[in-house]
Amino acid sequence: MPAVLQLSELMGEIDDAIRQRFAGRLFWIKAAITDVKKYPDKRWCFLKFIEKEGHNITSEMKGVFWSATYHHIENFERETQQVFSSGLEITCTVRVRFHQRFGLDLEVMAIDFAYAVGQLELERKQTIERLLKENVHIRLQPNGSFSTFNNRLPLPTVFQRIALVTAPNSDGYRDFTEVMGKNKYGYAFSIQPFFTQVQGDAAATLIMHQLSKVKNQLSDFDVVVIVRGGGSDTDFKSFNSFDLCNYMADFTLPILTGIGHDRNTSIADMVARQHKTPTEVATYLLDGNMSFEKDLLQLKERFFNAVDNRLQSANQQLTYHRRIIISSSPHTILKRGFAMLMKQQQIVTNPALLQVTDEVQVILKDTILQTTINKKESNVESSNL
Amino acid sequence: MSKAVTFDKAFASLEKLVNEIEQDSIQLEDLAQKVKEANVLIAYCENKLRVITETIEQERKK
Repeated sequence: MPAVLQLSELMGEIDDAIRQRFAGRLFWIKAAITDVKKYPDKRWCFLKFIEKEGHNITSEMKGVFWSATYHHIENFERETQQVFSSGLEITCTVRVRFHQRFGLDLEVMAIDFAYAVGQLELERKQTIERLLKENVHIRLQPNGSFSTFNNRLPLPTVFQRIALVTAPNSDGYRDFTEVMGKNKYGYAFSIQPFFTQVQGDAAATLIMHQLSKVKNQLSDFDVVVIVRGGGSDTDFKSFNSFDLCNYMADFTLPILTGIGHDRNTSIADMVARQHKTPTEVATYLLDGNMSFEKDLLQLKERFFNAVDNRLQSANQQLTYHRRIIISSSPHTILKRGFAMLMKQQQIVTNPALLQVTDEVQVILKDTILQTTINKKESNVESSNL
Repeated sequence: MSKAVTFDKAFASLEKLVNEIEQDSIQLEDLAQKVKEANVLIAYCENKLRVITETIEQERKK
């Protein structure tokens, strides 16, 4: 009978062999990661490295981050603006470890951000190229921005009815609704939330699903707002998805984004109207309404000025006419020293009607003279008066 | 004010009234009526900015 070893003896030999071959060595590897389980409170992360050929996994190995290297995950998320999660392909340095109870695994010592950033940039570039190729309404502007059907839609004069696509209980939702609700101008808004997941692999599809619901009640809204919180949430990958961006680009109601990041512009921002944060979108909407009200008040002032001017002008005309009437009245004329001639209660303006011996009345300012005409002759000098 | 009136329409109507008065194309005897109309339009916009009409909510609940 061959020699029987205790399990620990065999494991010890394996351990020795592995130590002999791998101790003190670091290896750069490139692999996809899956089954990522993070424990931020303990600062551990367990995962699996895999390599595939088609759909078949050809290599698989456990991986681990311990607290000494956990910060690489946080740095990775900050630098690449995506959550360290299953489905990513990363390059990293690892060391091979063997434990007699827990077996073989790869302890991650560092991650290469540049590779991940490069991958993301490549995906982003591919989405942009595909949008420009497949969506005839999208035009690339000289400054690198997009002109799309959606961001060319005219904005309403006043924003009141808002379809809000966001994650429930998120910072973005809270920030947006708070700014809108507590606005000092007292503007009223009707905000209907369309809750969705905004990060993770399914986010793009779920956001599109909510947008399709908005589409079914387009006439109920003035504008669509898509917001998400900032903070440590850094997964913007879904906002570079071709399907989502293409859907947004052709959406028939103006979309404003406040996706909450400072450095990069996602493609979703490019196809819609970008604002950096949920608070900025809210401020923009409030400013829009304030601008309308300002125009309204200016028009009101112009209106009442025009009314005042019209009344003043009518008054001036009236005064002028009154003056003409007064200056032409017999009373004014008599006051100036002129006299009025009357015959048989009629004012005489035609001297041909007057004959010598006619009895006439000469009306002066304060006096009436009863008199008889005893001579009539032409007044050749009247034109010189 | 009819439900169909929008901010744009109210603003455009007000602008039209202003232009008519500025161009003296409104008879003096019609001025009081026009002032009344303008006041209704201004009040409509001012109120609507601050009050979401119940109609919206009612429509939404349907």
